[in-house]
Amino acid sequence: MSVVQKQINVSDEIDNVCEDLELKLKNTITPDDVLKLAKITDGFLCSNTNEYQIEFTRFKIRDLETDTVLFDISKDPNVSENNDTTDDNKQETTEDSGRFVRYLFSSSFLKLKHVGATVEFQVGSKDVKNFRMIERHFFKDRVLKTFDFNFGYCIPNSRNTCEHIYEFPKLPQDLIDQMIANPFETRSDSFYFVDNKLVLHNKADYSYNG
Amino acid sequence: MGFLTVLKKMRQKEKEMRILLLGLDNAGKTTILKRFNGEPIDQISPTLGFNIKTLEHRGYTLNLWDVGGQKSLRSYWRNYFESTDGLVWVVDAADRMRLDACKDELNILLEEERLAGATLLVLANKQDLPGALSAQEIKDILELDKITTHHWSVVGVSAVTGDKLLNAIDWLIGDIAKRIFTLD
Repeated sequence: MSVVQKQINVSDEIDNVCEDLELKLKNTITPDDVLKLAKITDGFLCSNTNEYQIEFTRFKIRDLETDTVLFDISKDPNVSENNDTTDDNKQETTEDSGRFVRYLFSSSFLKLKHVGATVEFQVGSKDVKNFRMIERHFFKDRVLKTFDFNFGYCIPNSRNTCEHIYEFPKLPQDLIDQMIANPFETRSDSFYFVDNKLVLHNKADYSYNG
Repeated sequence: MGFLTVLKKMRQKEKEMRILLLGLDNAGKTTILKRFNGEPIDQISPTLGFNIKTLEHRGYTLNLWDVGGQKSLRSYWRNYFESTDGLVWVVDAADRMRLDACKDELNILLEEERLAGATLLVLANKQDLPGALSAQEIKDILELDKITTHHWSVVGVSAVTGDKLLNAIDWLIGDIAKRIFTLD
């Protein structure tokens, strides 16, 4: 029985890898393609440049219960870094210039109830029609949360913000323990589409033992 | 996907409301949005695009859209009309010089077909400022009594103090809910 089980797992693994490769070879990746993914992708599914010059300039997370900014990074030199960010919630950026973020949280982050997550982005001189974000959070191969939001139209040369205020999903204690014990196994893929075509792909990973 | 799943999905979707905040530049749209969501309002610069908030309120998912009000941006407003359930028209009640422009822009919106189904909430903002016109005065100047095409209400508020803001938004949500979710 255990041998058979193992074989099934291996073949699942191959299927998953093939799925990723298939997507990378596709010219156009659609929202349906990424909503079907059962785990984090191996790499980025599109290049780091896009014809719309959409650029993310700020990520911010606040706790509404205590009215505290937990995290605030900004790429724009005109916007001052937020000093409220508490010491134990630091972040690192890597050479993958802006499209990969590593979040270092303390375990108390997983106890939050009511949070607001803000992204700020600017777009270039072309207007952007039908702009949609799909963000998927996984711990290992388990989906924790999926965001799917349609921004619709973006004005040329505009700077826009979007804050999702939501109830933090209630996670079982054993899962919380595993997430703390396994730093960076909690990961997210953020996919951005214009007219149902993937134009941007950002990734993040998270640790909760800081 | 089973029938019940489909039904549940539709019901979740039904519980969503799309609310659009418009008004001339410097009317206080972004300040209202931030005040309503309990954010600091001391550092607000002109909106050069949109600010969106999605949140749960009274069992509904609210999608609040604040689009910049500068003259150069107003021609883009029409891109945000689709599926709007509620229009919040924010007025700087202390800016007497621009009330004619304010009235004209509102009238253009009221003729817009894609906003025909939307409830209108006019906020006579900046009641904390000396010289601000009252809700009654704003109602007369904007000739709101002539509106027969939309459910509407006018409320004097202050985004800075938060006075009456929550009640006004609750009226808007209640009116939309009555029109749209009568089966609930």
